Amino acid sequence: METIGTSHTVHRFDYELNEIAKLVDKMGALAVEQLRRAVKSLKKEDPTRAHKVINRDRKLNDLDVEADEKIIQLIAKRAPMASDLRQIITLGKVVTDLERTGDEARKIAKLCVRIYESDHHIPSEHILRDIYSMSKYVNQMLKLAMDAFSNLNVQQAFGVLLMDEELEEQFDATLRHLSTFVMQDSRNVGHFVDIVLGIRALERFGGHAKNIAGHVIFLATAHDVRHLDADEIQSLLNIEDSP
Amino acid sequence: MTSPANSTVDIVRAGLPKRYARERRFRLMGMLAIGLGLVFVAILFLDIFSKGYTAFQQTYVRIQVHYDGSVIDPAGTENPDTLAFADYMALLKQSLREVFPEVTDRRAKRDLYQLVSPGAGQVLRDRVLANPEIVGTTEEVWVLANDDIDMLVKGHIDRDLPESNRRLDDRSLAWFDRLVDQDAIEKRFNITFFSSGDSRQPEQAGIAGALMGSFYTLLLTLLFSFPLAVGSAIFLEEFAPKNKWTDLIEININNLAAVPSIIFGLLGLAVFINFFGVPRSTPLVGALVLTLMTLPTIIIASRSALKSVPPSIREAAMGIGASPLQTQFHHVLPLAMPGMLTGTIIGMAQALGETAPLLMIGMIAFIVDVPQGFTDPATVLPVQIFLWADSPERAFVERTSAAIMVLLAFLITMNLTAVLLRKRFERRW
Amino acid sequence: MNTLSETIETGPDANLIVPQENEGAFREQQFEDTVGDVTHPNPRISCREVDVYYDHGAVHAIKNVTLDIGTGEVLAMIGPSGCGKSTILRCLNRMNDSIDGCQVSGSIRLDELDIYDKNLDVVLLRAQIGMVFQKPNPFPKSIYDNVAYGPKIHGLAKDKTDLDEIVQTSLERAALWEEVKDRLGQPGTGLSGGQQQRLCIARAIAVSPEVILMDEPCSALDPIATAKVEELIDELRQQYTIAIVTHSMQQAARVSQRTAYFHLGHLVEVNTTDKVFTNPQHHLTEAYITGRFG
Repeated sequence: METIGTSHTVHRFDYELNEIAKLVDKMGALAVEQLRRAVKSLKKEDPTRAHKVINRDRKLNDLDVEADEKIIQLIAKRAPMASDLRQIITLGKVVTDLERTGDEARKIAKLCVRIYESDHHIPSEHILRDIYSMSKYVNQMLKLAMDAFSNLNVQQAFGVLLMDEELEEQFDATLRHLSTFVMQDSRNVGHFVDIVLGIRALERFGGHAKNIAGHVIFLATAHDVRHLDADEIQSLLNIEDSP
Repeated sequence: MTSPANSTVDIVRAGLPKRYARERRFRLMGMLAIGLGLVFVAILFLDIFSKGYTAFQQTYVRIQVHYDGSVIDPAGTENPDTLAFADYMALLKQSLREVFPEVTDRRAKRDLYQLVSPGAGQVLRDRVLANPEIVGTTEEVWVLANDDIDMLVKGHIDRDLPESNRRLDDRSLAWFDRLVDQDAIEKRFNITFFSSGDSRQPEQAGIAGALMGSFYTLLLTLLFSFPLAVGSAIFLEEFAPKNKWTDLIEININNLAAVPSIIFGLLGLAVFINFFGVPRSTPLVGALVLTLMTLPTIIIASRSALKSVPPSIREAAMGIGASPLQTQFHHVLPLAMPGMLTGTIIGMAQALGETAPLLMIGMIAFIVDVPQGFTDPATVLPVQIFLWADSPERAFVERTSAAIMVLLAFLITMNLTAVLLRKRFERRW
Repeated sequence: MNTLSETIETGPDANLIVPQENEGAFREQQFEDTVGDVTHPNPRISCREVDVYYDHGAVHAIKNVTLDIGTGEVLAMIGPSGCGKSTILRCLNRMNDSIDGCQVSGSIRLDELDIYDKNLDVVLLRAQIGMVFQKPNPFPKSIYDNVAYGPKIHGLAKDKTDLDEIVQTSLERAALWEEVKDRLGQPGTGLSGGQQQRLCIARAIAVSPEVILMDEPCSALDPIATAKVEELIDELRQQYTIAIVTHSMQQAARVSQRTAYFHLGHLVEVNTTDKVFTNPQHHLTEAYITGRFG
């Protein structure tokens, strides 16, 4: 009689899937690191660090290309079905989202370069503080999303979705905050647009983390939750969970 | 490469000559075995042929015969019955006395008459009956020589032997030589061998009776056994439920195929002749017995032919809605037919060569007349061979061999037909 | 939510529905009910609580299967070898009758007709439910005779022209007419494997059945011939109800609207093909179609 194993009869299939999963983990770690370093360069007012971050983004791009190639090859060779199919498609989407988070981290690094290599007035610590706290928050989101992804933890992923709602509010608050700063001290106008774009980049960073969390829920439950709000998701998953 | 791989190759290479040598030895042995078989077959054929080919010629003696009306038809009635029962041998004897006028001694005369076959008068009778006009005339007739003269002509009697050890004495040899000098001795194609039945006189003995007997017997055997065997094969293979009973029947059929054929003869004697009162010695009873004997063979062959028809054909027919009988007769049977026919022909060939069971039902009787139907007493080829092989006359030796040749020719023809049929209708799926 | 917290190492999906405790008890109950929707709003064939035994009851081949095959749909039956998918297919036109010691209980209906009614004529049934087999099995006769055989024995054609027409339309429907119209007299066994199988389909539809059963129709064909037969199946769906047993999951995914997964004689799951191949509901289905049977 056949046994129902947890691994594929074709072990190579497992190996290949695992390879891609490892690449994605690596990309996730790299994306988190990039944002952390970009923000650090801003804090240290050090454009050299920022350049390093910008250069390092190329590595993330290379990983993106490599992962996509492997995904295409796996689909062509193994014709994955059901959960395998969802997994490989999800991996592809996560890769794309991770590549984008890398781009957002680069934008923060560029912000540092723009501020500290230009002749403009250096903005006040107060203005940048919002960026620091927000970056911490979105980086945490990505970390949690990637964690949920590798553990296939729907609860955790759902937590990231809730964090994103929080983030949206924070984003609006930060913009209002920024406007008052500009109104109080017109010297801040010089970097206003740059800083708004930076905040916008962080908001997008969090958005991608939220997308990844959505992919995790799709992978685990086969429900596409991308365009639902938290309550709908909650009720959907609860229905699913009740025995 | 690393050393382990090399060592594998080395070990294999070291063993190779041994392996090839073994293969060559095996092939050689196979060829030897086949060669030996062929040699034996060749010896058998050569022996039979060398002994038998002379039987296809027969020595004739030319004799001037006067159809003496006073001997043939003393009353002059021209009644065919009178003509038929006249003493034609007397005419021949008279002619012989005219050829050798010096022979007067009674015993010598008897020896003289021995130059021609005791049945030689038959020729004269046939001529007279065909044309009664010739009574009173004289004509030259070639008549059968006696078997001893025949043997002498064919070189089977050694003139150098002492007279007492010879079949022909010096006097007969002298007469023979005189006839040869007169060109009155000639070898001709032996029509008698193919046209007459058995006889005590070797020169008059033929295989026509046995051939016809075999023909009638086999025809009946075919008519009885083929439908029965094919029917039972189809039923057993396709329709009968598979249970203990059918298993038992199958085992019994296989056993029957292995039963010594003489048992079938005994069965035929007990059941057909003694119980049902079928006339003995006839092709009918012979066919019944041979049917019993060939049935298992044909059933087994037919069943394997049916088995070899792929089930997909049956499924295809059933799937369209053909009834089981339609499936069998429209699709399965036509495909199994070549195999069945092959089996039948092999069974028939077996029956053709069968002697033992027929001995038990009286088909070994000495029968001169060529049988004209299924209920005439008859014998068959192999029994005829058996009978002749048992006869003491030297001239029967070559007839035995000749009869074997005829039998072999028939067997080979039948087997060849079987092979051709199989080749012709063989299908590949 | 517990089970979903299982990590990726154990496989994200193998344990989707497996309770962790007491494997033995689970094995008993995991088959109890078929997952998914066994019914169809417009059924042509409906099986209810069908059990099939071989060897006079010694082997329980089909265990309590309830399943509808809807009008105009292609239902694919998949499952590992020996799961009973061919058995249930062959029950539908009583091809199992010829197997000694095969017993069928429960009810199988074709529309209102009880297929296992004692008074039912099997010949009549098989005129309504055609069958196509694993290996192309044309009769060793001409192409024409192959197709004409069914109509002939059932007396469907009034005369020769009628028969010619049936043969032509059947071959056309089987997408074979253009390839063989010039050599109808040649033996059907001389065609290529794919053509032979289409000939067998033409032969099946020549008797105008309502349902066509296909038992692994492409397993002996090359990919191009397979594609042609699959295309044909899709076209035939307009007129016939089709049940197909296949070993190729790709094929089941390509040609069917609904898929039934069998396992050890149980009907484990029936769902739309779209659902089965992206998100199967039962872990056995999942394991089978993702290739996790070892």
